[in-house]
Amino acid sequence: MNKSLKEKLESTFKDIRITIPEDSRIAVSAESDNVLAILRFLKDAGFDHLALISAVDWIEDDCFELCFILTSYERDDDEVTGRQGLHIILKTRIPREKPQFKTTTGIFPNAEPYEREIHELFGINFEGHNRLTPLLLERDYKIPPFRKDFDTRKYVEEVFDKIPSVENKDK
Amino acid sequence: MDRNQITKWLKAPAKMANKYSLHAIYFCTGCGIIEVPPVITARWDAERFGVIPVATPRQANLFLITGYVSVKTLRAIIRTYEQMYEPKYTVGFGSCPVNGGMYWDSYNTIKHLDKYIPIDGWIAGCMPRPEAIFIAVTHLWTLIDKEMANGYIRYREKYKSYRRNQELALGKLDWPPLYPVSDEHQGNEQ
Repeated sequence: MNKSLKEKLESTFKDIRITIPEDSRIAVSAESDNVLAILRFLKDAGFDHLALISAVDWIEDDCFELCFILTSYERDDDEVTGRQGLHIILKTRIPREKPQFKTTTGIFPNAEPYEREIHELFGINFEGHNRLTPLLLERDYKIPPFRKDFDTRKYVEEVFDKIPSVENKDK
Repeated sequence: MDRNQITKWLKAPAKMANKYSLHAIYFCTGCGIIEVPPVITARWDAERFGVIPVATPRQANLFLITGYVSVKTLRAIIRTYEQMYEPKYTVGFGSCPVNGGMYWDSYNTIKHLDKYIPIDGWIAGCMPRPEAIFIAVTHLWTLIDKEMANGYIRYREKYKSYRRNQELALGKLDWPPLYPVSDEHQGNEQ
């Protein structure tokens, strides 16, 4: 089953790299333009559950990586063992200077909080997302705090350590 | 009743009654809340020490802050603390409220909770055992006896400094000051 899905994906989309790191895992690397089409294709193939969107800051390669993890409640993927839970990890890279991506809320409505969180913590803008308001953070950060060039130690020294102690004058 | 304590009861009955009926509100900010259910239920049974959990801050006089404090929870902690009746006692539970603990360089975790609200006692450890809560409660009894658990009095006296620190951490606060603050501190309505 894994094999046939791999072949189907490779024949449908160009510039796509598929590896199978272990049983019940498929890792797909794709260009960012293709991602929405691949997500739609996978949803039609039965992967109806978007489990997670996460982002990675590859500062040496000067890009962000977005990972979409899809799984299915319905497909019976492994006929031999009967084990369910095939996970597809779809990865794409976007440049660090222009952190723009299209929203996936049109395909998976539950992507909304993930995209809000990534927008807040990595500063990636999701075009077409209708509610990119702050989700978790209260303070304003010049650099979004999950980026690798955000110096947490320096930030703590400048902000929280500067607040004077009320009781103890030497702190 | 312990016969040695009869003089204390006669001298200050209200204080003694208050001391042995600590109504605790648990602020479940982090992992520390894992330790609280066994403490209040049959396994360790905090009622032996007169500690009983209550539903709202308006019924409580012991405030346990269990676990790390993020910027967002600090706002809720201050509001909870200000709603409690006096006399009220605060205990920081775990090493994170003390000095940040493992979140000592986090972008969003408040270190040193005593900069924002007065704390009467700390329980160090990550995580402290339920027994540590009982040791803290017995210590708190001693402090109440000696009138050293006076966080709420310090809060009233130094409210200006506390409010300033709260504003430094949270920006503009959207609730009025609990006690009057003088004019020299800008940015507050009287």
